This record gives sequence, C-alpha cells and structure tokens, in this order.
Amino acid sequence: MGLDPVSVNLDQKLLEFMDQLELLEEKRQRLNSLIEEGWFNISKARYSMGNKQVSALQFASEIEPQICVHSSLSEKGNVEFKCERTEPKTEELEPSGTVENIGPKEGGLRRRTKIKQKETTVEETSKCEKESQDSIKSEKSPCQHQDPLKWFGILVPQNLKQAQAAFKEVITLSAEIATLQSAILATRMEMQTQMKEKHKIQSVLEG
Amino acid sequence: SKFTHHGRSSPQVRSGTDTNDYYFPSCVSHVTLEASSVVLIAVIGDEDTCTGFLLGGIGELNKNRKPNFLVVEKDTSITEIEETFKSFLARSDIGIILINQFIAEMIRHAIDAHMQSIPAVLEIPSKEHPYDASKDSILRRAKGMFSAEDFR
Repeated sequence: MGLDPVSVNLDQKLLEFMDQLELLEEKRQRLNSLIEEGWFNISKARYSMGNKQVSALQFASEIEPQICVHSSLSEKGNVEFKCERTEPKTEELEPSGTVENIGPKEGGLRRRTKIKQKETTVEETSKCEKESQDSIKSEKSPCQHQDPLKWFGILVPQNLKQAQAAFKEVITLSAEIATLQSAILATRMEMQTQMKEKHKIQSVLEG
Repeated sequence: SKFTHHGRSSPQVRSGTDTNDYYFPSCVSHVTLEASSVVLIAVIGDEDTCTGFLLGGIGELNKNRKPNFLVVEKDTSITEIEETFKSFLARSDIGIILINQFIAEMIRHAIDAHMQSIPAVLEIPSKEHPYDASKDSILRRAKGMFSAEDFR
C-alpha cells in the first residue's frame, strides 16, 4: 500500500515535533527564570547604588559587541545559531614602581616603605613621564571590548555581576531557542508536505 | 494604554545616526554568506531588559552604524518601534531579535508577516508582563498547522 510509508513518516515527524516542543518549553522556562533573576539583581544593584546609577544613561557612547552568533544552514533547511564570546581585554593597570605619579593632594595608595630618595628621584621622575605618556596614549586609543560592567563604576556591587552572569547565560540559551524554533517550523513544513502527499495518495486510491 | 501612538518620535529613545552603511562587526574575521555567517543579536525592550542584555555583551553602538538595540520607554511611539524592527529585519548582520512580548503585541502584524528564518524573533517576558505562550508568533504558527482535516 502506498499509504504506509507516508503514514509512518508522518508519525515519526509528529513525534519529533512533540519532542522539539517539549524541549522548547523546558528551555523557555529556564530562560524566563534566568531573565527574572537578572532583573532582580539589577534592581538590587540599583537599590544600593542609586536609581540613576543603573540606567540607560550609563551606556557608553561607543560599544563593541562581545558576542557573535554563527548562523548556519543545516541539511534539513533550518538555521542553527551558535554563540561565540570574545573575552574583554582588561586595561593594563600595572602598579608602577614609583610613588610620585599620584600627587600628594590627590587620594591614592602610597608606598609606606622608604626608598633611597636621592638615588631614585631622578629615575622616578623619568618613569613618571613615561607612564604619563603611556596612560595618555591608552586613554586616547579607544579601549576595545571593554567589560560593560565598568560603565557603572569601578567597584560595582556583587548583584550587578550576578545580573551580568545571568544575562550571559540567557544569551547562550536564546541562541539555542532560536535554533529550536527554526527546527520546529521546518518540521511543521515537512509535516504539511507529507500530509498533502498523503491526501494525494488517498484521493488517487479512492478515485 | 500608555503606548498610544502620538505621531512623534521620542527624544528619549536611543537611536543611532542616519547612515545606511552596514558593516560587519569588528569581531568577525571572515564571513561566508552562503553556508554560514556571523551575526549580531538585537534587542528591543524596556530599560532593564536592554541594560541586562548590554551587560551580557551583545550591544553595538558607534558613529558609523546604527545601534542594535532600542530602549522602549513610556512615550516611545509604535511607529518608531515598528520602523526599528523593520530596520533590524533588513540588516544582514542581525541574526536574532529579542523583543519583550508586550512590545511584540504592539507590532504583532509586523512580526506575523516575517516568515524568513533569519533573523529569528524571540519573544521574552518583561517585568510587568510575564511570558504567555499563547501569544508567541512562532508557537501560534506551529499550533495553527493542526486542523480538523489533518486528522482524517
């Protein structure tokens, strides 16, 4: 009978479709709970830092994306998304061997141990000049891939870091869900094609 | 509804410059458009949603390109949201669009009209509106295939 292979195929597709829907439901629940956790942590950070300290006003004027998504067409015709993350380059803040790059009037850490001042003052001033030149250069060149956490300050509360971690996981999950959605729609199209074929065979058999 | 269309653009909305030049992001070393490509994630959401996702590292904003995110506030017009959504669809470097479901409801007609697999549209909850699977375009499309005729 011509109907049997088509029916078997349809049944397999339906089971695959149901499995995909179930997996999508699980990932969705995980995504929603992670997003809520992220918002909760952002709200906690806002409570400790102040309303205006954690808002869209803090976004940098130039932002480089740290996540790329590789999209590829699979054999079945659906799109697969995979996240790739580039680690942010931390600015080099090497502690200098000198003390004098921060003036006594400004706040800052100072070395408490006494250095032989007569011998090292000349060296220190020359080092200071070089370091100030370097720091000026680093300020002028835009810092690529800066951690977005630094928009909100140098010392941010733990809650903001937790929010960032939650949203990073959300982003990875989003790529998986987008892949699943594409697969679900592709399975649906295949099922519709199979269904039409089945109706054709049925009409041929009846006719 | 606090999101009624006033026919004016909101000064609060963060949007980029008017250039139409689209370049691939700097993290891309090579791009093959046929088999695979490297794309960005865009987000259309309220302030906390955008803050969270930008913290996660998906944001892109510079002088040459339009940003890949839109912060929707109380006085953001529906026209602006729809135009931004359509501009994201037209960009070849955006693969996934994340959108709060309550914002997706405002431009449901535009989302339902989008039938291509790229960019993928993902509806996410917001603080005041939890996720409702019955409103999701993708799930409605998947559910809609089951009709009485299919079970003959």
